[in-house]
Amino acid sequence: MNQTHEDTRVTDYALGELDAAARAAFEAELRESAELREELAGIESTLRALREEIGTTPKVALDEPRRERIRQELASATPRPKSRLRAVVFTAVTATAMAAGALVFVRSEGRAPSVTAVDRVASKYEKGMLGPQPTAAASAATGSKAKVDQERQAEGQRFQREAYDSFQDNPFIRVATDPRSTFSVDVDTASYALIRRHLNDGQLPPKGAVRIEEMINYFSYAYPEPEGDRPFSVSSEVGAAPWAPQHRLLKLGLKGKHVAPADVPGTNLVFLIDTSGSMSDENKLPLLKRAFELLVQQLDAVDRVSIVAYAGSAGLVLGPTPGNDKRAILSALDRLGAGGSTNGGQGIELAYKMANEGFVKGGVNRVVLATDGDFNVGVTSQSDLVELVEQKAKTGVFLSVLGFGSGNYNDSTMEKLADKGNGNYAYVDTLNEAKKVLVEQATGTLLTIAKDVKIQVEFNPSEVAAFRLIGYENRVLSHQDFNDDRKDAGEIGADHTVTALYEIVPAGRGLAVPGTDPLKYQTPGAPTGAAVKGELGTVKLRYKQPTGTESQLIEVAVRESGVTESSDFRFAAAVAELGMLLRDSPYKGSASYSEVVRLAQSGELDERRRELVDLAHKAEQLRR
Amino acid sequence: MQDGAAHWVMEALSRYEAALLRYATTLVGRSLAADVVQDTFLELCRAKREQVEGHLAAWLFTVCKHRALDVGKRERRLRSLEEAHVDEIPDSGPVSKLERREAASRVSAALAGLPEREREALVLKLDGGLSYKEIAEVMGLTPSNVGFILHGALKRLQREIVGEAEVPVRAAGRTS
Repeated sequence: MNQTHEDTRVTDYALGELDAAARAAFEAELRESAELREELAGIESTLRALREEIGTTPKVALDEPRRERIRQELASATPRPKSRLRAVVFTAVTATAMAAGALVFVRSEGRAPSVTAVDRVASKYEKGMLGPQPTAAASAATGSKAKVDQERQAEGQRFQREAYDSFQDNPFIRVATDPRSTFSVDVDTASYALIRRHLNDGQLPPKGAVRIEEMINYFSYAYPEPEGDRPFSVSSEVGAAPWAPQHRLLKLGLKGKHVAPADVPGTNLVFLIDTSGSMSDENKLPLLKRAFELLVQQLDAVDRVSIVAYAGSAGLVLGPTPGNDKRAILSALDRLGAGGSTNGGQGIELAYKMANEGFVKGGVNRVVLATDGDFNVGVTSQSDLVELVEQKAKTGVFLSVLGFGSGNYNDSTMEKLADKGNGNYAYVDTLNEAKKVLVEQATGTLLTIAKDVKIQVEFNPSEVAAFRLIGYENRVLSHQDFNDDRKDAGEIGADHTVTALYEIVPAGRGLAVPGTDPLKYQTPGAPTGAAVKGELGTVKLRYKQPTGTESQLIEVAVRESGVTESSDFRFAAAVAELGMLLRDSPYKGSASYSEVVRLAQSGELDERRRELVDLAHKAEQLRR
Repeated sequence: MQDGAAHWVMEALSRYEAALLRYATTLVGRSLAADVVQDTFLELCRAKREQVEGHLAAWLFTVCKHRALDVGKRERRLRSLEEAHVDEIPDSGPVSKLERREAASRVSAALAGLPEREREALVLKLDGGLSYKEIAEVMGLTPSNVGFILHGALKRLQREIVGEAEVPVRAAGRTS
């Protein structure tokens, strides 16, 4: 796509932000163009004026009491342990109390210590990976000692829960206020496996770890195969919302086309494996090795496998090797041992280099990062890493992340990496899960068939008073982003199913909309001729081909089907209901664990779905 | 306590306090800026050096920004409860009218009149000495967005300061 926009290189050049090559090219242009020289002179004189202005501003500095406060904090501060959530929480709270004890002269206004800023930074740090996560100390330290003592415990608990995240359930939105809902698809499933590990360990998962869309998408549903050359099909079903009998539930389903393994031109996989000391646990490296052995059985001569380890010094364990040379691959695997500290920065560069060397044109080219989350990038900053991953994704090498082990502090870091790398993020807690991710869904996990898939639903005011998107909280897009092809969104792999649920408050029955008041100054606008009865809304999807830059549009109208709900529908509703209970969602209504079990069991259960029933029972016991 | 660590944080303090104070002032006004900056360095005391090193500036400005946003929000809420002070609520961005009036020179007046995003990026660039990439981290943008915003800001300022009726705009074709 050829886009014309303003050329910012004059500014980039004046600010020293062009790299050597671009600078040389720009200087060559400068010599040719008087117009350009004039523009540069203008920018430079503006910059000079600004710098003078800043230079003449009186030198400001922090006052002495505040400096002293910082010195005291330094005296009492103990360095925070690395990537262990609970330890971090308690250290922070204890040190806060200690610091506050020494704090006699702080302001008398007595502002209540606030945690919101820290929460926001915390979530940004998880999502944006800017570096270490700030603690509660700074916010709380400005309050009085009594205040801190009083709120210490509550805050401690809050942090323990919230350091994972700080997202709220999507609220109900009135169609009169905003009839549209826009979000990016998400095929990650890690949250479900994380919840399973917590429940099997006899504890309720932290609410922030419960991402309902990832729970729903952990399961596959029977959706039709796409027709023609479309990469995926779109279908919908409407039924009752079990936890709010007066509300309706809309289930949207996408299914990626099936690609027979023989039709995949070839698979070039580079395993980037964390072999740091913490990976030696039975449920980490040994589990990965067993799963990997299973995957290798599926590969043949056209495929390539490389293995790069990172720990202390990054090392090439196996260069690109044909997939049928199983002996070489398996013996390289055997050589992997855990030990040393992590330096992922060099490892990832080496992995991408191998991916280039073994590049299979038109095939699957992917770096698979396997780690327990101690991803230390060494000299490179975290943002450089995200940028690298993003940039490599554009060259056709995608990144997938497999998370292992417990105490997985970097849950969101890994989600972010996979997200930027057009990949998937899965959490592997058992060999079964490893099989599901690496073997059974090998094509889905690995072969991307559509990228930047965005969904926009416009609801019909004649039928819908308000709606609420269940889950996808961190995938919500602004409405303008839907048609903006520069905005990145989620990917769909072969055979993947993506499911989204909307809870709907029907129009014209005088029902209250939870959490919102009716408008005082407006009545709903005039519906168009298209706003006919019986049509709930229109679903629009945009997607790009895996290597494309321009999006294509699909539009489908959604209607009440008038038949009883399918067992898939009831099962998806059960999963959502379980998620709402675990999140203690404000919208859970009459939700109950027994209803989750009843709904799930109303259809046929395979092993995977039976497990959900089992987890619902466990959660119910823990709740008591 | 290790003297080395103390030295490191205090060194960061003397290097960045002025820029952070001015940055916080653009976000929450002068009266609250010192608290925000103090809190930012309290955070730094608790961070591990090796995790901050290499992107210290971006880290400091990010923490400062979030702290400022939070303090600013609470302050506005408090003030809106006291009707007597309603007219002190910033009306267009956090730089208050009063402070804008104080801005004596044409340059600082032009700077204060910039859209918030442009002013923020400029302060981070010229005062904080941050690179595009670091600004991108602080503001949650991409580095090329930052270039675009700064370019727009400089063009606008040039028009304001130089009083040029028209500053030429060139377009370049780019493949994306």
